[in-house]
Amino acid sequence: MFARLLWKLLLGSRGRLSVAIVAIVSGAAVISALMNLDLGVEYRLTQEFRTLGANLVISPGRAAQSVDAGTASPVLMGQDTVMRAIEQMRAPEQVAAAPYLYVIARVGDTPVVVAGTWLDEARKLAPTWKLEGSWVASRDDIAHCLVGRNVARQFNLAPGSTLNLKYIDSSAQLTVAGVLDSGGPDDNQIFASLPIVQRLAKLRGLEGQIGLVQLSVQGTAAEISAYAAQLAKALPQFEVRPIRQVTEAEGAMLGRIRLLIFSMVLLILVLTALCVLATMAALAMERREDVGLMKALGGSISRIVGLFLAEVGALGAAGGLIGCVVGLALSHWMGERVFGAVIAARWEVFPLTVGLMVIVALAGALPLRLLGKVKPAVILRGEM
Amino acid sequence: MFARLVGESFVRNPRRKVLTAAALVVGMAVATSTLTVALDVGDRLAREFRSFGANLLVTPQSDTLPVEIGGVDYRPVDEGSYLPEADLGKLKTIFWRHNIVGFTPFLDVPALVNNTQVTVIGTWYAHDVPVPDGSTFKTGVSITHPWWKISGRWFNDGADECVMGMAFAASHPEVAVGQTVYVAEDEISSSLTPLVVTGVVSTGDAEDKGILVPLSVAQKISGHAGEFRQLFVSALTKPADAFSERDPQSMTPTEYDRWFCSPYISSISLQIRQVLPGVDVRTIRRVADTEGRILSHVGMLLWMVTLAALLAAALAVAATSATTILERRAEVGIMKAIGATNVLVAGIFLAEQVMLAIAGGAIGFVLGVGLARILGQSVFGTPASVRIVLLPVVLGLAAIVAILGCLIPLRRAARFDPAPILRGE
Repeated sequence: MFARLLWKLLLGSRGRLSVAIVAIVSGAAVISALMNLDLGVEYRLTQEFRTLGANLVISPGRAAQSVDAGTASPVLMGQDTVMRAIEQMRAPEQVAAAPYLYVIARVGDTPVVVAGTWLDEARKLAPTWKLEGSWVASRDDIAHCLVGRNVARQFNLAPGSTLNLKYIDSSAQLTVAGVLDSGGPDDNQIFASLPIVQRLAKLRGLEGQIGLVQLSVQGTAAEISAYAAQLAKALPQFEVRPIRQVTEAEGAMLGRIRLLIFSMVLLILVLTALCVLATMAALAMERREDVGLMKALGGSISRIVGLFLAEVGALGAAGGLIGCVVGLALSHWMGERVFGAVIAARWEVFPLTVGLMVIVALAGALPLRLLGKVKPAVILRGEM
Repeated sequence: MFARLVGESFVRNPRRKVLTAAALVVGMAVATSTLTVALDVGDRLAREFRSFGANLLVTPQSDTLPVEIGGVDYRPVDEGSYLPEADLGKLKTIFWRHNIVGFTPFLDVPALVNNTQVTVIGTWYAHDVPVPDGSTFKTGVSITHPWWKISGRWFNDGADECVMGMAFAASHPEVAVGQTVYVAEDEISSSLTPLVVTGVVSTGDAEDKGILVPLSVAQKISGHAGEFRQLFVSALTKPADAFSERDPQSMTPTEYDRWFCSPYISSISLQIRQVLPGVDVRTIRRVADTEGRILSHVGMLLWMVTLAALLAAALAVAATSATTILERRAEVGIMKAIGATNVLVAGIFLAEQVMLAIAGGAIGFVLGVGLARILGQSVFGTPASVRIVLLPVVLGLAAIVAILGCLIPLRRAARFDPAPILRGE
């Protein structure tokens, strides 16, 4: 009986309900799209910030990390020890990890910094580098190198030319694969794969040794420092150091952007909730004649109010569900437009939106309770 | 007669207007505040981005190749070229001078400090640079390197003081803040420069291993009076787009003017080259590209959120107007029964809506401005600036949504047969 009454109520007044349904569905769509966006935006932004380059550095500790041309004996780290430790820990999203070994070699008589690294990882560390020519794809390529813009200018190098590197009494002949433009100190360096540099410096027993590791780790400030602490525990003999310029500024920026979007979303949330509330309240007041009639027929007020609450509750739930689907599609589209990548749908948006819509719809129908006090005759005569 | 009808409607039954008016006020307040914030946010975020440090690097054009690992230059002092410090004030005379937030010259000198080989870094902390127009501009690492943290205090410009890097302090436990260190250029140099240590700085980078001194002190130690080697410039820029990437040489004069008068990083670096002859200005891509991308993405995101806010506001107003008009069907019935045409009925309702929209929109605008100020204060620390331009926009928006909201119910009301409505069916 209750269900049939409810069904008839919903079917019988399609015209009146359409305004309410439109309000609920679009309200739920806006709310769920923005909630999903707000939850997903931090992940996307931390990903975007990774173009800033490395945010963690592992170095042998306080001592100098460069192979200085002949003076102090360098302090280095075992390549396998460090890289294996990093590989075993993939807690937050690790964008790139590249080992580096620097030597100051000579081209002719001019000293130049040569950085030996894993070039495939180095590229992920510095996605903003502009390259003319081609990249060295393999970690074991011992014939090619990349040169910085200033190095290329100094020695008149272009992709394809050959370069002779001398380091004390060893030497290497390399082909320039590409010229890179970073706008930073990298423009003054030659980049070659790690084995080349290790071999160049082999008389000093450097094979399998590296000077430092640069890591680019994606995550919030707290996640990164937790990861750094974990890494420091695994490698107690070395120094794990977050690059403050990157991590701190990034954390502050993220905080501000999130706060901004969150407060705007909150405003819209309140506005949408108010809109749905007002519409439902108006709809409920329209029902007062039905209430009068039901009361006159002997319905108890709690049963009548229950009936109407069930009606608006069902309306809120259905509208919320449909709106949620629309909203998630909307946030999918927004993510694609803004970040060029999808913002994943969060399942928690569904219960939150539907719950909010049902609560707001029920709150809007609460004025009906007041009608319990009114005498049916007054309402039926149309005096209220 | 028409005016009296509309006026009476407000006087006789103000309660019915309250719902629509309230929706208008709240909706327009949200619209105003989100619009204000969205218009302001680009500038604010660009300024925030300066906490990542400089985005332009100025070096001598005819310089030899720097032998630099981890930010420390291993070249001897007598090699390479230098730039004159006296020219720096000219940076504040370029077209986009107000976009130059700060700049800091650096002069690295490999030297002996208490007989150990250390890089002595000469720089400014907060230096008053004389600008050709007669004013002074305070700049230095306090602005370009805001993440550097000091315990103790920074050196005074020009004084014989220094600040130790954290790693240097750790490896030289015998040196404490307040003590004096002795700096010599090399072993054979006879002159020792005594410097009082005033603090320990943590930079998170290669500077931690050296000591930082006022630029003038580094110039004295190295014998390069009035010169520096590198200049970091922090400038507020507009995110790069397809237009800014074009070669200025290939532009038509109008395009060139537009490019020159936009704060693109490429046009600012050209203007720096014009005032500082013989320099090479490079964009620090890592910072500039990230900034450009995030600024444009966050800007776009906020415009979408603003659009959602406008949509929600429109929806709120439209929904409430629609319900109030549905409630007044009986009134429509009476009017039509006594001979009002559809046009007159619609006219009365529309006039009411527009009056409500103007009143509600104006109140909403005031509330929204307050809201935007609070929002700006809590997010960026300074309230968002009020834009009066938005007032007509918001009022127009309010009128449009209020009219749109009552159009559909009015069209339905026009089809009503007065008799059944008056019977209450």
